[in-house]
Amino acid sequence: MIAVRVVLFVVLALVALSPPAIAQDTFPSRPITIVAPFPPGGVADLTARPVAAAMEKALKSPVGVVNKTGAAGAVGMQSVAVAKPDGYTLLLALSSISIIPEADKIFDRKPAFTVDQFAPIALISADPTVLVVPADKPWKTAKDFIEDARNRPGQISYSSSGIYGTLHMAMELLSHAAGIKLRHVPHAGAGPALTAILGGHVDALASGPAVVLPHIKAGKLRALAGWGDKRVAALPDVPTFKELGYPDAEFYIWAGLFAPKATPEPVLSKLRATVREAVNDPDFKTAMDKIETPIAFKQGEEFQRFFDADARRLAAGVRKVGRIETK
Amino acid sequence: MLETLHNLAVGFSVALSPPVLLYAFVGCVIGTLVGVLPGVGPLAGISLLLPATFGMDATRAIVMLAGIYYGAMYGGSTTSILMRIPGEAASVMTCIDGYAMARKGRAGAALAIAAVGSYVAGSASVIGLMLLAPPLAAFALRFGPPEYFALLLFGLLVLAYMSSGSMLKSLAMAALGLLLGMIGIDQMSGYFRFAYGVVELGDGLGVVPVAVGLFGLAEILATAGQAVPPKVIEPRLRELLPSRAEWRDAAAPIGRGTVLGFLVGIIPGSAHIISSFVSYALEKKLSKRPEEFGHGAVAGVAGPESANNSATSGAFVPMLALGVPSGPIPAVMLAAMMVHGVSPGPLLIRQQPELFWGFIASMYVGNLVLLILNLPLVGLFVNLLRVPYPYLYPAILTFSILGVYAVNGSVVDVWIMLAMGVLGYILRKLGFETAPIVLGVVLAPMIELALRQSLAMSDGHYAIFFQRPIAAALLAVGLGMMLLSLRSFIRRGLDWRARMALAEKGES
Repeated sequence: MIAVRVVLFVVLALVALSPPAIAQDTFPSRPITIVAPFPPGGVADLTARPVAAAMEKALKSPVGVVNKTGAAGAVGMQSVAVAKPDGYTLLLALSSISIIPEADKIFDRKPAFTVDQFAPIALISADPTVLVVPADKPWKTAKDFIEDARNRPGQISYSSSGIYGTLHMAMELLSHAAGIKLRHVPHAGAGPALTAILGGHVDALASGPAVVLPHIKAGKLRALAGWGDKRVAALPDVPTFKELGYPDAEFYIWAGLFAPKATPEPVLSKLRATVREAVNDPDFKTAMDKIETPIAFKQGEEFQRFFDADARRLAAGVRKVGRIETK
Repeated sequence: MLETLHNLAVGFSVALSPPVLLYAFVGCVIGTLVGVLPGVGPLAGISLLLPATFGMDATRAIVMLAGIYYGAMYGGSTTSILMRIPGEAASVMTCIDGYAMARKGRAGAALAIAAVGSYVAGSASVIGLMLLAPPLAAFALRFGPPEYFALLLFGLLVLAYMSSGSMLKSLAMAALGLLLGMIGIDQMSGYFRFAYGVVELGDGLGVVPVAVGLFGLAEILATAGQAVPPKVIEPRLRELLPSRAEWRDAAAPIGRGTVLGFLVGIIPGSAHIISSFVSYALEKKLSKRPEEFGHGAVAGVAGPESANNSATSGAFVPMLALGVPSGPIPAVMLAAMMVHGVSPGPLLIRQQPELFWGFIASMYVGNLVLLILNLPLVGLFVNLLRVPYPYLYPAILTFSILGVYAVNGSVVDVWIMLAMGVLGYILRKLGFETAPIVLGVVLAPMIELALRQSLAMSDGHYAIFFQRPIAAALLAVGLGMMLLSLRSFIRRGLDWRARMALAEKGES
């Protein structure tokens, strides 16, 4: 009986000790998990799943997606920031990864995580937001809108996905660039924010193009301008704020893949090569096409530059909003 | 009308084609299982299983997801009735009278009434969805924050009908619930309230962990604390079905619950949760024997269960007619459509008639499948009660922890549930009812957000609540109801509530 136990102990000990020893040379030797910090059906989730499927194909090793939601993404992002840096836990983050630590600073609280806890692997997609207004509103162009906002400061209202959320920041960057003041009505997510403008309860919304396109086509909403570097392909007649002379109003809802900072370089380079292969996978392209999200693959220096510039703009935006004192 | 019938015929040809029928059936079965698992409600079930549908054809995927959705609504009542564990927020009210019925040996009857009520509500509201979707959807969108706030105030009025005992105690519990509902991110300023550095508390206390703790765990603790273990209720076969009198008591509440649930369900937001609360209050108000509520009133099961099922179909109205993500579950369904290359929007009905009408027809079929599936299962489920407590309760505890953990993969949720279990046990010992706490936790964040959004819209002017016709009308009706109840309170003095208190004194 004792002999059996000893054998069992030795076997268990071997099982427990062996994986790290092997993992060094043959990454991956077990399934990789991509954490999507938002619920199923959201942009992060819908991007993470085809990425995981295409990576799985490239690696010939399982890659799964786990939704770890809460506190506007902070819960999932924090969990990856402190995860074991072995390349088996990755994060599919959205633009909000640069916003959350800044917002924490505003409130003098210990940040849930900081941006430098992550090693960037690749940018997957970047979707510029577009400014939409209900079709029955008088503004035909972005110029009309901005002029009217200048004449009536704080009178034109907009909905957002939540305070310091992506849709809020897009609007704040515009307000800052154009020197206007708008009235912010936060909602609990992008869905309710869209419902609010369709119901005519607010006057404007910054939104990812895909979700508002059907409503623009149906004549319920009008797109005035976009936050991108280039015009949105599906809306060729809608100018960018850059064209209109507001180069600082640049904003993307982007999705990128990150690993915990201390992940060993060989593992990171293997992951980078895998993602490069994955984004060229035809199935991946079809999947991204269906959710109408343009692929914007960037890696290494290029991604770092994009990420830094974006983080800088957003940090400035958050600081400009500051701490909101309500009456 | 003729066109509708024609379209419906096309829809049925889609819904009854063997593969679609199979997926509807699979969806219903999975949904029922998900609903039976304590803590896992329709939203969690649908979110967890959404990725599994990514490889499917669009119509099949949508039909299966819808099956999971209303299957979970059906299944949610099972654990509420048998074990006093709400599968999700909408079945909290079923816990009260459903469980009381089970204690009296009428578990089979309660389950059968819940199933039939759900079937009637499900089918009738699909008819409503089919005929009224476009005009109703446009109306539903007019519900902005001020209207929502006025509607939620009704939710607070419901409190007066929630307890059968002391009004003061139930108000104290509601206040506690409202306070607990204040935990989490302040939506207007981004400030973390009462989070104490726990990031997970940023979203506030989930209704499900709170309800499972306060009801289910407290019940287990209370039973374990009894000197003499309660007798196992041995259900007899002929007692499985409701009696003629019980059917009579259930009929009208099912009808009222159906209409009420549908109307509340179409309003964008999470108002569907309160449909079962409001239905319970309505039934108690209209009942000739309000004192029976809380002690196994049939209407207290029939009304809320029908209401939460027809609210399900109601929630699809703005989603299908306008492509609006009108609540958490429609939002997930819309995402599922996008994944399948269907662009949801106001043009969906015209561009994808097969999907729309196939979906409608599959809801008829699905409801029938669920009834056929659930009625025979009543016998099986009721037999769970034969399991002796020393085996049953640890098993329930395990499943509750698994279920609550599975929803968000959050250990914090499990701790919240356990803490609420202890709190519920203590309050029970002190003679407090816990249902008002759940109502408070449900309502507090919604009322607060709606109020502050309204004030943000109006730049701080309260006049916004009176200038908008729907909000003003709702507030006026609410005020009228409050004055009416005050009048009877003053004039009659000894109403049923007082009689109850006297009777309770006599008992002890």
